[in-house]
Amino acid sequence: MSEAHYHEDHGAVAGAPLVELVDVRAAYGTIEVLHGVNLSVPQGSVVALLGPNGAGKSTILKVISGLLPPTSGEVRLAGRMVNGASADELARIGLCTIPEGRGVFPNLTVRENLWMATMAGVPLAQVEEIAYARFPRLGERRKQLAGTLSGGEQQMLSMARALSVNPSVLLLDELSMGLAPLVVANLYEIVAQVSQEGVSILVSEQFARTVLGIAQYAAIVLHGNITRVGTPAELEDELSAAYLGS
Amino acid sequence: MQTFLQYTILGLALGGAYFIAASGLVVTYTTSGIFNFAQGAIAMLAVFTYWQFRWGWGWPAPLALLMVLGILAPLLGAVLYQVVMKNLRGTSEVTKIIVSIGVMLGLQALATWVWSPTSSTPRQFQKFFGPNAFAHFGSLRVPWHIIISFIIAIAIAVGIRFLFVRTRSGVAMRAVVDDPELLQLNGGRPERLAMISWAGGSFLAALAGILIQPMIGSAMSAGALTLLVIDAFAAAMFGRLRSLPRTFMGALIIALTTTYVVAYFPSKWTWSSSFRNSLPMIFLFIILLVLPQDRLRGATVLRLRERFRMPSIRTAWIAGLTMMIVVFCLKVIMAKTGVNTLTLALTFAIIALSLVLLTGFAGEINLAALSFGAIAVMVVYHFGISGTGTEARTTLWGILLAAVVTALVGALIALPALRLRGLYLALATMAFGVFISRMVLTERTEREIFGLKFTLFTSGQLAIPRPKIGPIDFNGQDAFLFLCAGLFVAIGIGMVYLRHSGYGRRLTAMKDSPAASATLGMSVVRLKLSIFMMSAAIAGIGGVMMAAQVGTVNSDRFDIFLSLALAMITVVGGIGYVSGALFAGIFLIAFIEALNLMLKKFAVDYSSLEAIFMFFISAVTVLPATIGITMGKNPSGAVSDIVEGMNKVKQSKPLMITVIGLEAAIWALTATEVITNWHFVILTFANLILVPIVGGKFLMARAMRGVPKPVPPELIGIDRPFTDEDLAAMDQALNLDGVVIPSSTTVREEPANASA
Repeated sequence: MSEAHYHEDHGAVAGAPLVELVDVRAAYGTIEVLHGVNLSVPQGSVVALLGPNGAGKSTILKVISGLLPPTSGEVRLAGRMVNGASADELARIGLCTIPEGRGVFPNLTVRENLWMATMAGVPLAQVEEIAYARFPRLGERRKQLAGTLSGGEQQMLSMARALSVNPSVLLLDELSMGLAPLVVANLYEIVAQVSQEGVSILVSEQFARTVLGIAQYAAIVLHGNITRVGTPAELEDELSAAYLGS
Repeated sequence: MQTFLQYTILGLALGGAYFIAASGLVVTYTTSGIFNFAQGAIAMLAVFTYWQFRWGWGWPAPLALLMVLGILAPLLGAVLYQVVMKNLRGTSEVTKIIVSIGVMLGLQALATWVWSPTSSTPRQFQKFFGPNAFAHFGSLRVPWHIIISFIIAIAIAVGIRFLFVRTRSGVAMRAVVDDPELLQLNGGRPERLAMISWAGGSFLAALAGILIQPMIGSAMSAGALTLLVIDAFAAAMFGRLRSLPRTFMGALIIALTTTYVVAYFPSKWTWSSSFRNSLPMIFLFIILLVLPQDRLRGATVLRLRERFRMPSIRTAWIAGLTMMIVVFCLKVIMAKTGVNTLTLALTFAIIALSLVLLTGFAGEINLAALSFGAIAVMVVYHFGISGTGTEARTTLWGILLAAVVTALVGALIALPALRLRGLYLALATMAFGVFISRMVLTERTEREIFGLKFTLFTSGQLAIPRPKIGPIDFNGQDAFLFLCAGLFVAIGIGMVYLRHSGYGRRLTAMKDSPAASATLGMSVVRLKLSIFMMSAAIAGIGGVMMAAQVGTVNSDRFDIFLSLALAMITVVGGIGYVSGALFAGIFLIAFIEALNLMLKKFAVDYSSLEAIFMFFISAVTVLPATIGITMGKNPSGAVSDIVEGMNKVKQSKPLMITVIGLEAAIWALTATEVITNWHFVILTFANLILVPIVGGKFLMARAMRGVPKPVPPELIGIDRPFTDEDLAAMDQALNLDGVVIPSSTTVREEPANASA
């Protein structure tokens, strides 16, 4: 992906995009929250969506995952337009989304949570094997209700799903929310490894430091628009000025 | 020993059937978060359908079973979900309860319509393999039907447990309740799972009904059968709507206790059969009392679709005055029967006010408003009447005492509400209502308590005279009409005052978030107790007025189904509004009555079309329920729609003058008997509904051109999208003129400007 260059006018990363948003608008009821977003996630790269609370990062991920149909524009997955496809259809063809908060079912056990991940096609035995190998702690607690796990363990469980279903695209929403810095660093290490296996990853974050260490590109989201796209190095100054504050 | 075994086996089988019904509740609640009050009605409908196939048309049993259990029942469940329940996402607990009660009342009306209860031959429902098929265990004869019922129950228990724990679809059904979106992100299909579970729940209800009916052995009745399966609610609650083994245990305990009561209570105790009948409800109430505080699943809805605007005190006074004038004008032109109906409607509206206060203002639910009325009526009958014969009058003290007693009973019923809310409270009040009608209102034997001879519900009829307050005698129908109208207006205005007071704001805060209220230092317990007592007292007063209007009341007047219908229609009318209560009374009593009269008149006048009009008369019985079911589409209630319509009239002077002028003319013509009352009704409808629409097209377009409907600032963005003008207006209001909307690079400088 090193040849990929970036166009200022479109705010898009060119290359061989696996996920592509073209002039996407989206609204909750009558309130428009995305005002024409253009974005590309090249194959095998990590793209970070950065921006303050309420900027529209989660909404962008919701639109891609199929939970929120866009009001106009195009969402493309591997070149195919997928506007109007439901979230479960997209999940079954290889899009894995870890939603904001903890992506677990609190009233199901750890094992049952992993069982739900098998709907994307990977058999349970394999899912469990990958999950427990990566996170031995989950293996010890396979019969425990997910709601009784600690925050970090819950995030491990949702990451375990992402690891084991073998997705081609991974969407991560606010992975670090409410977690200890050490746990966050640990999780991002895993994200980096996943990306090395060729998975394209789009990750939204409010706190940019950790994610910028592993992201190839970053996009700044403000007021429902993508205002800047570039490599972390290119955006360094702007980031601290525009959004990180001091 | 023989008796013990016989009854134990019967109890086990009955428990099995209760469990099947309860497990259906658990399945649907688990996947959709909706507690299906219609479960009993589905069972009832299945029993009638099966009877029709099996004995009405003489089909063989397997074919009839396949048709009912294999096809019709699951289909009904699936259709219910797709058409009705699916729309309930994001609505409040109250709406969910009311809609499923609507389905229950609808199915019941449907069954009564198709299978007239006054059929010449009582319908008998037989056990499987006929009434004489017994298995012999030594000296013990057990009907095969009983054995089969118990075996099926165990099979169902094992089957459901297997489904929910050992199959991916079953686990996914549990996952749907936790987080349907997340399941979708996993690749699951929540809607399909919920639909399947409703089909399954409906199948289980039907199965339970077909098993229970022959065990009871009485002739089939729609109401009794519906309530019978409601007994299973207690079992479902015992398992806290989650645990199947506990549900099974609960079902067995309830069924065994009831059969032992039948077996061992001395037959000279006149109340033991009432006690047996109300036992499941007593269980339900106790279970709700001792249930540990539980975070109800699906109870936390972030954004509710309903919205109530609070009328100002001035509006309330104007509305009250208008209502008194309208009542007077109506009285002048109405026939005596019409005045009777209108008065009765107003008494029901007063009872409905208690629901507006409790549910609309405080977010608590009472499904047995009329039962409080029944208690008040009993108090008045025993302690509040002076004089005899035609001189008998209800005293003011009698009414006040009745209000106090019902308030105290209300406090007692509120006990579960202190810790629980929503669904559990609805069930507790419903249990109370069924208990009152099964246990108290059937109490006709004279008893001696502390040397005082006493009959609770003397000879099943209580005569309640009209009140005399001070020197004013309200015995005449007109005087009583104005008393009821005045009472409604007084309580209604009082409620608006209350809503505007600090107490009213605390109520709203509690409705929105009990937790937040408690952390702000409010005593949620005292609030809940006081509001429940107040509401019960209003229901009591309304009940006394209702009885005084009817003259002599029997227990049917306080039927639990009537309470449910009243609650449903009040929610339809708009549970947050005083006018919603008026809507409920008028609709449930006067409108249905008028519609019936009109259709009957037409059937006589146009005898060639009689069949069609008779069909419509039957259809009217299903009407209230049908309207209740549509609540999912408009959770704010019908009154808010009417008010929106009326706003058009209010905003256009020429239109308002036209409507009022026309109405006055119509009234004058009727009062001078130039046109009949029928014409009055039809013309009034046309005037109030058509004129604003038609007139609106011409006048409004001109008057309102370029003037969009003003939206209050807090609703901008919800009712219509934000515009740059809105932003500018807000900036100006907040003294933020000249502040540039932050863009990527200049963000840091802004806060300084904004605070300046």
